[in-house]
Amino acid sequence: MRILVVEDDSGLQTSLAEILREAGYAVDVSGDGIEGLFFGQEYPLDLAIIDLGLPGLPGLDVIRKLREQERQFPILILTARADWQDKVEGLEAGADDYLTKPFHPEELKARVGALLRRSAGHAQPLIELGPLKIDLVSQRVFKGEDEIELTTYEYKVFEYLLMHPDKVVTKSVLSEHIYEEDADRDSNVIEVFVGRLRRKIDPGGLMNPIETLRGRGYRLNKPSGPA
Amino acid sequence: MSINADQKKPFSLRFRLVVLAVLLLTISLGLVGLALDAAFHRSSEAGLKARMESFVYLVLAATEVNDDGVLVFAEEPGDPRLNQPGSGIYASLSGDRDRWTSASSLGINLPEPVQIQTGKTEFTTASDETGNYYTFRYGVSWELPQGQMLPVTVTIFVDPQELQPEFHAFRSGLWQSLALVGLILVLAQVILLALGLRPLRRISEDISGIESGRLERLEGSFPKELEPLQRNLNHLLDTEQANQSRYRNALDSLAHSIKTPLSVIRSSLPSDGTPKTVAMENAVADMQHLIATRLQRAATSARRSNAAAVDVKTQLERLVSSLKRVYSQKLINIDVMIEPDLAFYGEQRDFLELAGNLLDNACKYGDGQVRISAQKLDSKDSRVGIRLQVDDNGPGIAGDEREELLQRGVRGDERVEGHGLGLAIVLEIVSAYHGEITINQSELGGACLNVSLKTR
Repeated sequence: MRILVVEDDSGLQTSLAEILREAGYAVDVSGDGIEGLFFGQEYPLDLAIIDLGLPGLPGLDVIRKLREQERQFPILILTARADWQDKVEGLEAGADDYLTKPFHPEELKARVGALLRRSAGHAQPLIELGPLKIDLVSQRVFKGEDEIELTTYEYKVFEYLLMHPDKVVTKSVLSEHIYEEDADRDSNVIEVFVGRLRRKIDPGGLMNPIETLRGRGYRLNKPSGPA
Repeated sequence: MSINADQKKPFSLRFRLVVLAVLLLTISLGLVGLALDAAFHRSSEAGLKARMESFVYLVLAATEVNDDGVLVFAEEPGDPRLNQPGSGIYASLSGDRDRWTSASSLGINLPEPVQIQTGKTEFTTASDETGNYYTFRYGVSWELPQGQMLPVTVTIFVDPQELQPEFHAFRSGLWQSLALVGLILVLAQVILLALGLRPLRRISEDISGIESGRLERLEGSFPKELEPLQRNLNHLLDTEQANQSRYRNALDSLAHSIKTPLSVIRSSLPSDGTPKTVAMENAVADMQHLIATRLQRAATSARRSNAAAVDVKTQLERLVSSLKRVYSQKLINIDVMIEPDLAFYGEQRDFLELAGNLLDNACKYGDGQVRISAQKLDSKDSRVGIRLQVDDNGPGIAGDEREELLQRGVRGDERVEGHGLGLAIVLEIVSAYHGEITINQSELGGACLNVSLKTR
C-alpha cells in the first residue's frame, strides 16, 4: 500500500513518514501543494494524507483538483484548524476523513488503515480467506489458532492482493504499490515474494488462493463466503 | 447605552432649542409690542389733537364778542358733550378780562388759564403740570369796533380717561395676538426640530442596528452636514472590523503553528508506556485541550455577528453528509427534524462548530441512531435565537456525570475523555451566545443534549 504525505513542516513530514513506513506502507512525501498535486496525479497511490495549510497550492485546492481528475484513492486531511467549518469544507472538496493536529500516532494508523479497508470494501479489519484469518490492524495472519510469520514485504504483497480481490494484479502494479517512487524495483523480486507467501499460507497447495495468470499477473480468488 | 447617574445628563438638543426659541421670541415680541404700543399712543394722541382742534372751531363758532369786548356764548356750543357735566371734554375761553368755561366743567377744577400769542397753537399731553389733562390752546384775537384787538385763548381740556378704553382695547388685542404669534412660532419650531432632527434619529437607529448586528455599516444617504459623521463612523467600523479579522487571523495562525510542533512531539514519543512517556503524552494532550478551548473562546468573544441569516437546514445537511462520509464504516442514520426556513442570526462558523461537535459526539458514542431537531426560541420572532437538540442511542451519560462534564467544560483546564473536548467547545459557544445547555436521558436510549443560543 502506497501513501503520499503532503506536509510542509519538515519535522512532521519526517515523523509521519517514519510512522507509516514502520506500519508497513510505502511512503512518498512532498512539502508543497504543487508538487503534492503532481505526485497525486502521477503516482499509483492507495491513499494521500494532505495538510490544509500548504505553500504553493492550498490543500483544499489540491484535493479538488485530484478529484476533478478522477483520482479516487482515499484522502485524509491533516489540519491544525479543528473548526467544523474547515472540516466540512475539506470533506466537501472530496476528502474522506480528517485528522486534527496534534494527533496520536495510533490514531493516524487507525484512520489510515480504516480508509484503506473502506476503499477496498472491507467493513471489518478482520478478513477471512478459507481457513486463513488476516487481521489488518495488527497485520497478523492466522491459520486456525496458529500464527503464520510473514516478512514485511510478503505481508505487503498479501495485503495488496487482499485489497483487490478477484482482480488481475500485474507484477509491476504490485511493485509500484509496495515500493516508494525512488526505490529500486525488480519484478523478479515480486515473484520471489509471491512464491514464499504461497508456501507459507498454503503449504500443501490445496487452496491455491493466489492464482498465477501467465504473462498477466496474479489474482486473489476469494473462496465462497464473506471476505 | 446608559448614562452615569452621578453625571448630570446634558439637556436634549430639542429642549435647548425650544427654550432658547421661547426666550428669544418673548424678548423680541415684547419689544415689538412696546414699539407698537408707543406708536399707537402717538397716533391716537395725534387723532385727539385733531379732534380737539375741531372743538376749538366749534367753540369759536359759538362765541361772540360784544362791542365792549365781553365774551358772549350761544346756548348750544355745537357738541352736547360740552354741556354735559363731567363728560371729560372741557372748553375754556380766556380773554383779558373775563373767562368762560363750558358747562361740562361744572364742579371740576380746571387749571389756571394760560394765554398764548394770537395765531399760535399749543398741544400738551397729560401731565401734572397741565393738571393731568390733554390740553390744546389756540390763540385768536377779535377786532373790536374801536379798532382794538382782543386776544382770546381757546383751551380744550380732555380727560386722559377719554383715551383709556381705546388704549385698553388696543393693548389687550395687541398682546393677545402677539401671544398667539409666539405660540404659533414655538409650535412651528417644535415641528421644524422634529423634521430637522430626523436624520439624527435615523443615524442613532442605524447605530443601534449595528450594535445588534442587524447592519454592518451606516448605509443610505444622509444630509450633507451628517456625511462627515457617517464617513467617520463607517471608517471606524471598517478599522474595527479589520482589527478583529487581524486578531482572528493571528489567533488562527498561532493555533496552527503550535499544533504542528505538538504533532511532532507526539509522534516522536515512543509507545513504550513508561511513566515518562505517559507524562509527556498527558502534557501534549493538556496543551491540545487548552488550544482548542482557549483559542475557541478568544475567537468566539471576538465574534461580530452580521445580518446575514444562516440557513439551518443547509448547514445541517452539509454536516450530516460530512459525518456520513467520516463514519461511513459505521452505518449511521441521522434524522434531521427542523422547522421549515429556520434561520440562525449568528456566525455560520459558530453554528457549524456547535452542531458539528454535538453531532460528532452523537455519532461517536451513539450506536448508529442519531437525531437532531431545531426550532426557534420564540415562535413569533425568529431573530431571538434557536434551540438545538441532539439525541443518540448510545450508552448515554449518567446523571452524576452530567454536572461534572458541564463543570469541566467550563473550566476547560482538565483533560477529559469522550464527550469532553467537543463538549468544552460547545460550552464556549453556548456561553458566548448567552444560551443554556442541559444533558438528559434520550428517548432513543442514549444522551440527549439540548442547547439554546440567543442571537438578540
